[in-house]
Amino acid sequence: MAQDSVLSDELLHHLMAVGHVDVLVGVPTLNNAGTIRPVVKAVHQAFARYFPRDRSVLINSDGGSDDGTPSLVRNASADDTETVTVSHSLRTVHRISTPYHGVPGKGNALRQIMTAADLIQARAVAVLNADVTGITPEGVAALIRPVRDQQFDYVAPVYQRHPLEGPLVTQLVRPLMRAAYGWQVRDPVAPEFGCSHRFVSHCLEQDVWDTELGRVGIDLWVTAEALAKGFRCCQTGLNPHPATPTRTPFGELFAQVVDSAFACLERHAPYWLGRNGAEPMPLVSPPPTVAVEPPVVNGTRLTEAFALDVENLRSVLQDILSAETLASLEALAEKQPARLRYPDPLWASTVYQFLLAYRGGVMRREHIVQALAPLYLGRTGSFLRQYATSPEPLVDEALENLCREFERSKPDLVQRWNRV
Amino acid sequence: MPASDPQPLWFKDAVIYQLHVKTFADSNGDGIGDFKGLSSKLDYLADLGVTCLWLLPMYPSPFRDDGYDIADYYSIHPSYGTLDEFREFLDAAHARRLRVVTELVLNHTSDQHAWFKEARSSRDNPRRDWYVWSDTDDRYRNVRIIFVDIERSNWAWDPESKAYYWHRFFSHQPDLNYDNPAVREEMWNVMHFWLGLGVDGFRVDAVPYLIERENTSCEGLPETHAVIKFLRSQLDAHFPDRMLLAEPNQPPELVRSYFGEGDEFHMAFHFPLMTRMFMAVRLEDRKPLIEVIERTPEIPESCQWGIFLRNHDELTLEMVTDVERAYMIDEYARDPASRIHLGIRRRLAPLLDGDRRRIELMNAMLMSMPGSPIIYYGDEIGMGDNIYLGDRNGVRTPMQWNGGWNAGFSTTDPERLAQPLISNPLFGYQAVNVESQKRADHSLLNWMRKLIAVRQTSQVFSRGQTTLLKPANHRVLAYLRTLGKEQVLCVCNLSSSAQAVELDLESLAGALPIEMFGRSLFPRIGELPYMLTLGPYAFFWFKLRRF
Amino acid sequence: MAQMIANAIRQAGTNFVESLSVFLPRMVTTLAIIIVGWLIAMLLRTMVRAVAGWLRINVAAERFGVTPLLKTADLPPADVLLGAIVFWLVWLGFLLSGIDVLGFTSLQGLLASFWAFVPRLLLAVVILIIGFVVANFAWRATLLAAVNGRVPSPRLLSGAVRWLILILTGAMALEQIAVARTVVLTAFAIAFGALSLAVAIAFGIGGGGIAKRILEHQFPEQPRSSADEISHL
Repeated sequence: MAQDSVLSDELLHHLMAVGHVDVLVGVPTLNNAGTIRPVVKAVHQAFARYFPRDRSVLINSDGGSDDGTPSLVRNASADDTETVTVSHSLRTVHRISTPYHGVPGKGNALRQIMTAADLIQARAVAVLNADVTGITPEGVAALIRPVRDQQFDYVAPVYQRHPLEGPLVTQLVRPLMRAAYGWQVRDPVAPEFGCSHRFVSHCLEQDVWDTELGRVGIDLWVTAEALAKGFRCCQTGLNPHPATPTRTPFGELFAQVVDSAFACLERHAPYWLGRNGAEPMPLVSPPPTVAVEPPVVNGTRLTEAFALDVENLRSVLQDILSAETLASLEALAEKQPARLRYPDPLWASTVYQFLLAYRGGVMRREHIVQALAPLYLGRTGSFLRQYATSPEPLVDEALENLCREFERSKPDLVQRWNRV
Repeated sequence: MPASDPQPLWFKDAVIYQLHVKTFADSNGDGIGDFKGLSSKLDYLADLGVTCLWLLPMYPSPFRDDGYDIADYYSIHPSYGTLDEFREFLDAAHARRLRVVTELVLNHTSDQHAWFKEARSSRDNPRRDWYVWSDTDDRYRNVRIIFVDIERSNWAWDPESKAYYWHRFFSHQPDLNYDNPAVREEMWNVMHFWLGLGVDGFRVDAVPYLIERENTSCEGLPETHAVIKFLRSQLDAHFPDRMLLAEPNQPPELVRSYFGEGDEFHMAFHFPLMTRMFMAVRLEDRKPLIEVIERTPEIPESCQWGIFLRNHDELTLEMVTDVERAYMIDEYARDPASRIHLGIRRRLAPLLDGDRRRIELMNAMLMSMPGSPIIYYGDEIGMGDNIYLGDRNGVRTPMQWNGGWNAGFSTTDPERLAQPLISNPLFGYQAVNVESQKRADHSLLNWMRKLIAVRQTSQVFSRGQTTLLKPANHRVLAYLRTLGKEQVLCVCNLSSSAQAVELDLESLAGALPIEMFGRSLFPRIGELPYMLTLGPYAFFWFKLRRF
Repeated sequence: MAQMIANAIRQAGTNFVESLSVFLPRMVTTLAIIIVGWLIAMLLRTMVRAVAGWLRINVAAERFGVTPLLKTADLPPADVLLGAIVFWLVWLGFLLSGIDVLGFTSLQGLLASFWAFVPRLLLAVVILIIGFVVANFAWRATLLAAVNGRVPSPRLLSGAVRWLILILTGAMALEQIAVARTVVLTAFAIAFGALSLAVAIAFGIGGGGIAKRILEHQFPEQPRSSADEISHL
């Protein structure tokens, strides 16, 4: 079985000792020595405080760290600063750190974690992100409880963030996924989630793991798969996700995210083509209310290059966009960068036409995605400029309108999709 | 026991059987057990393999606390027989090499005791100072109340002498004042009396509470230990081969103090071990047991722990954390009627859902852990309980000897029995009784006989050192018992499913494990991890031999 | 004399008739071959166009940017073009076979040369096709990378890349069909070398600053562009 290579002898040995569990927390790592200890501590405190009676295990799936991350995990004390008398675990707490095979990437790590979860019949699984600090025991519990107590299959996190943060999500991925899949998921690309054993078994049976989507877009795929295959999904509030700068350059990041999003839509077309509207997703617990500072961003710089980019890419864009859309973009490009306002309908239409080009294979897919990047920057720049000093509710409203615009334009997308 | 057979440390190798005369066997048909009836059952007890009997209080008493409220220390309750009948019972027990330990309630008497009647009659009475009096009830504030479900205060108002008297237990059990030397002397006289008759030792009830001092918990004070040392010194001087067993329900680190330096109690109960055995089996995780064993301090060489699964009281949850208590209540006492004070008033078999395998596992652990095991009467056949009887009476029902009239306990009318019989189809006397189990080879009774017999083949269980092994599989509890060159490896599967375990036995390489029940040979231990597989709740005792 | 002339005329006439009787069947054969060849070529053209349609050659051509090039060159769509190529090759083959039957000595080796030439011609065509595709791919890839990487003059750069590849391809194709081999090789070497030298000089002297910026761009210490200054996820 493909699972055999995912399961090393060493991991199997550990799993035999652990036996069946009620709660499994998976933490993929690759050189996270700086941030891993608080994560491990938060997990153990969550076990002791919120799940003292449950059989539990922490599995760290490591991609070959050379900064000592695995040994930090193994040596972390479960009772680090925990006072024993008040809240200690009734049971043996297990902690496994094991390397996974294959190219280092979230996909392989997650596959190993899910395989382990499947084998030891974990009733509730949570996957955490080791790249950032800020996960609390309450956050860990928030991902697990809806599965364990309320029989949800998938739990997506909601981070308390300023609406101007994470534009790749707010401007592109969220409205696109929302309109397509018909669910109002706040952050479809979140690196953390909770899920049930049922969902884990299902994911392992899918043929995504050896694809590019499985390698770099697994977070998005997991969300999309849960929505598309009728699993019971909900959202839960987590502590603010600190916006630490990602190590991946923008170009690569954009390509990974957008390519993954488009690939997901292509895979799940039979589901979303027939879906209308967008239902709110149940929020089992709101995010902790913390005052968030608006990010310091300079929208102007992002719009400065827009005109030149449109001009330079004209010969490529004309193979992707309709003449009308291209003309609108060129008209936009003629404006001063400071006055650039990329309207919602045009942006939605742009994204959908790129999606159709992606599906139709009018050129290599990576070229299609690369061609979208400058347009995204222009759109983001114009939005940031417009709302940089606006109060949060106003920004939220603008983003909601954007989502509705995507929903409004969906029937046209559906019609054209079937013709490609 | 004949004087020519003095064994001062006999209690270290004892297998103790705790019973209540009142509910064991009735010879005169009055519905209450007695010593003649008990004497008639001594062959059964000897055959079971136990070596010591511990009797619950047999003194004259108004029986408002099942005999722990003593009205006369020098006599036998008329319902149980006469002093002569008691002597005859003692002799018969000793003839079968069964030692006898009785109760000694040091801390308090019944309010019907002559001493208290005198003490309360006037403030000038010579016995006044034999009890703890106060004009107000705010002395010794913040001392915890033991019977929280019944009592509201440790002080009770005496209308006769217009003063408060101190009682750590029920209000009809006034505490004796051990600051008075006369009290100490008298209690030694009491002990002397019974020891002179031939009693082999005392289980001393409510030991920590003898002395009170302001701004303390009034438990385990240095002055209390001084009293104990006094009594022990007297015992050693006059009856060196007798035994004192303490009952302090406290964490093992605190119980340690009751052994002194070998100059206080010979034995003390290990309460926390008992609780954690139940916890570990339910959790299917050895963690609670490992923790408590590692926390158990070393005790003097001449001392011994008393370990048990159940007794006449509730399964106490006083000395556990809130999380642990909540877990135990949720798992073992779902029916609120089974809860009392801070514990669970159920017998062993109902607690374990009548699961034979779990009952065997728990008994196997009891018989192989460090300490002298104590079996509560009826648990050797898996008797049930009645949680709808008041107080702890549900676990003190008549012994079930056969499936006939009154379970063979008494010839009286069933309605006249001092305690009603257990009669439900699952645990009732028709289904669970000695006579049936004697006839069935594979009954629990015969299995217990075999278990005790195997345990008694070696002193390693009673006197050996204990080394915990911690294999990766947390559902398996494994430990090594060592006495000199003798070694026994005990492996227990705490889980309801089959388990595989790899034991690191490199230090024992070359030894040949021989399973002690069937005497089967197992593969020789090598340098690689030793793999064992165990069925649900199974256990192994391996004698390790070298050739 | 008259008899001799008459005999000569008669002999010439006989010879002529004999030659004609030898030539005419050959002529007929030749015509038959040509006509049959034409029919077969037509059939093959139709089959090739059908197979090309089934293989969606047009879509692939669209994808690799071959179709616009064909349009620019006023050529028919890819499947039609393929069909035409096959038609002409096959019919030319039959034509030459037919001519060969006529037995013109001066044309004797023509057929052999033709059949020797066809594989190289086909190879040259394949090289051209591959070259077009690669050039187009490289053009688009360079353009997008340059635009997203904020490299100056992306269109110039990508266009240069395309033309370089096209020229190389053309040279390789010509070299394959051995047309003015030496001239082509030499001209290509000179042109390529000169271009490289010019670029080096331009960069080294005139474009040092740009070169420095491009290198810093490739190996950045700070966020390479405004895009990297914000957190997109």
